[in-house]
This record gives sequence, structure tokens and C-alpha cells, in this order.
Amino acid sequence: MPLPAKAFQHWLHGVAPTASTADICRISGIKRTTLAQQLVRGKVAETTLVSISRALKRSPLADLASFDSFTGLTEQPQPPNPAELVSQIATMDLLRAVISRSSPAYGGFGDNGSSMTPPLSAAPHATSVRNWVDAIDDGELRHRVSAATGVAPQNYSAQLTANRLSPELAVATARAAGVGFTGGLVATGLLTEHEAGWAPEARQAALDALSDGELTALAGERLQALGKTLRRQEHELEQTKKIWENLG
Amino acid sequence: MIAILQWTTLAVCALVAIFRVPSALRGENRSIFGIFTLSTFAIMLSINVIYLPVDTWLGSENYANLILRFLIYAVVLLSGYKIAKGFDAQRSTWLIAGPVGLIVLALVAVATVVPFLLANTTGSSTGLGTLPDQSANNVDLIKLYTVAGRFYPSFVAACLLPATIRTMRSGLPRLPRIGAAILAVGAGAMILLSFSDLLPRHLAYLQYFISSAAILGLVLGLTLMWLGRVLATKRLVRR
Repeated sequence: MPLPAKAFQHWLHGVAPTASTADICRISGIKRTTLAQQLVRGKVAETTLVSISRALKRSPLADLASFDSFTGLTEQPQPPNPAELVSQIATMDLLRAVISRSSPAYGGFGDNGSSMTPPLSAAPHATSVRNWVDAIDDGELRHRVSAATGVAPQNYSAQLTANRLSPELAVATARAAGVGFTGGLVATGLLTEHEAGWAPEARQAALDALSDGELTALAGERLQALGKTLRRQEHELEQTKKIWENLG
Repeated sequence: MIAILQWTTLAVCALVAIFRVPSALRGENRSIFGIFTLSTFAIMLSINVIYLPVDTWLGSENYANLILRFLIYAVVLLSGYKIAKGFDAQRSTWLIAGPVGLIVLALVAVATVVPFLLANTTGSSTGLGTLPDQSANNVDLIKLYTVAGRFYPSFVAACLLPATIRTMRSGLPRLPRIGAAILAVGAGAMILLSFSDLLPRHLAYLQYFISSAAILGLVLGLTLMWLGRVLATKRLVRR
């Protein structure tokens, strides 16, 4: 359930009492028709709130927390655990780290985080949602989330496959796993790491703390998953081509 | 009402066939153009106003109806084969164009031609519903002829249904999936058509809707596939 329009308008009036809807749309880059539609339907997307909050130079996390469905978001802030941090590192950055740790004969520097290694690309990455859930899953997480929210497991899986997760589900997942609330919001791209209050070097530090064995195994898992996805895409492309060839 | 339905179906089919002419001239998938053209002729022959003059010209022995049957068989065979190949359904391809399919087609052809020749078909009648000779023997022969004529499309549609449903539920782009869904509806209607004689008399007019749904499902489904290909190539060129 997105934010109720009434509460949203109340919030908007509180934070920008003098701004017109047109002003709000102009500074936040939201289309007027989009905002109008969301207000008419009575449901405002969290991304809308975050864009406006960002444009007003406020804290999107604190503003989200001011809504009923997100209460508790900023109470007892819990920093992301190392596994969550590593899950938000793109697969290619992990592979780059593997190479960078290898001996110079293979193009590496033989150490951790050399100054020559390019900085990590910003979260989220192409499979960040699924990797985040995998990182905090104890094997029963999906069942608990589904029991707590009433979302069918296959719908939940479909969202993960599409690298999407609604903010409510992200928060519910974090709650069910007993981790901080910000991990899911960063993984889904709703908030940036900075907005979520993560330390700037937190992901790099978590990566550096991985042993060579852990890093290599993790990179291998990611590579295998990537291979599966690519093969499926290739298969679908092949099928589409066959349809065009015969029926197009 | 039924006339409007038939003429609309004809208009849709003819329009699609006409729009397909340029690409047929360029040599792209001429069999699809063939399917559209043959369907257009088949629909024309099921409309009274067109059937009667054509059949009178052919000698009022209802040979036009026999031609219509074989037009339908050709459309069904051609589209069934292309759809099964397009959806990469080896089993369906084998069932339709392999030995099994060809034997079924041969049997159906015999079961169409023989009763037709044995029956007294004098006196033009669209759909052979109102032949002058209503003797029991003649009615039975015509019934056999009609059943054979509906069996083959149902057979091919049944072979295609699993493949179309699978494609519809796959992760392919949206247009081919919608196209497959429409083809599946058409195939479903084609199968229903075989059982449409079981309808009570006062609902018999539903037959016209079912047959229109079958042909429109086929033509519109194929049109969407074509549209999908055109849009996909355009996107490639723009890139």
C-alpha cells in the first residue's frame, strides 16, 4: 500500500506551506499529471515523496518515517550488516576485486583495495534486490514475509526476479529478518546510501573484510546466477526470432 | 446481425491481406500473405450474397462449398505448420505436417469428397443448410461431409493449443504473447466449432459467432506477430 493521499497532502503542507503543486513538480521533476493521478487515486507512490523530499533538501528517510506505514523506520537505527553491504556491490565490482587481489601476473596488485582499483559503482545494481534478500535469508525468510504481509510467495519471487520490491515489502522483509530497515530501501533504489545514513566507505570496508576464499566463492555464485539469467535471455531472444521468422 | 458479423470479418481479413501485399512483394514470409488471402476468399464463400452467384456460375451443384472446404483446409494446414514452427513446438509440427497430420488430412479429404459426390447437391445453398433434396440418405451424407469439414480445423487447433498457451505464459516480449493469447482463443473457438451442432436449435446462430471468432483469432493473432516483428526491426534500425 503506497502512502495515503490525505496524509501526503498534510505532510506536503507541513514541509512546503507556500509552494504550489506546479512549484513542487518543477523542483522535484515529477510530471504534474503523474502527481495529480496519484492524488486522485488516493495513493501516492513512495518515490514521489522521496523526490520531493530530496528536492526540498530534507531527509527522505525521516520524511518516510513520518507516515504511519513506516513508523519505526528511524527509531533505533540499525546499520546494515556486512553481508547486506556486500550484497549491494555489483557483480562486476566483485569480479574486479577478485582480479585486483590476484598476483600482478594476472593483472592484479596482490592486495586489498589498491589505489589503482576504481571505486565501487553506486548501489543499487542489476540484481541488488535478490542479492539483498539472499544475504539476509536464513531459509525461512520468504515464508515469514509472506505470512506477515499476505503476499503470495510466487508474487514475492516474481518481484525479486524483476529486481523490484515495493517499499512496504522491503521494510517487512527487513523486519522479518531482524536487520536494519535501510538495506531494502537502498537495494530497491528508493534511497541512496547517503540518504540511508550509510558510511561512505561502508561497502568497500565490508568487501575488504572478506577473505579471498569468501570473495571468490561469492563472486562465483553471482557469476553462475548471471550466466543463468543471460542464458534465459538468449533463449527467449532465440524464440522471439523464430516467431518473427515464421510468423512476422 | 449475422450479415454485419460476416461482412466485418471479411473486411478485417481483406484489409490485413491488402496491407500485407507490399511485404509479400518483397518476398517476406509469403505464406503468411497466403494465409490472409485464402482466409479472405473462404469468408467470401461463406457469405450468401457472394456464394450464390459464384455457385450459379459453377453450375448450381454446390461445388463452391467443396472449394470452400479445401480453402479452409489449406489455411488451417499452412497456418498450423507456420505457427507450430514459429513457437518452436516440435511435437505440434510433427502432428500437423508429419506423417500423422498428412494421414489425417488425406482421410479428411476422402471423407469430404466422397459423401459430396454421393450426395445429391443440386440447388445452390450456402452452407448446404437448405438443399432441395432433404431425403434421409442425402441429409446423412451431408452431415458426414460437414463433420469431416469441421474435424480437420479442430484437429490442427488442438495440436496448436498447448504451444500457444505455453508461449502466452512465457517471458517473451508483450506483443508475441498477446498474439499467442489471441491465437489460443481462435484455436479454442475452432475446437468448439466441431461441437457446435450439439447446440439447441434456438442457439444455433451462435455457430456464426464461433466461426468468426476462430477466423478473427487466427488473422488478428498473426497480425500482432507481424506488427511485433515490424516494431522490433524499426527499433533495431533506430539504434
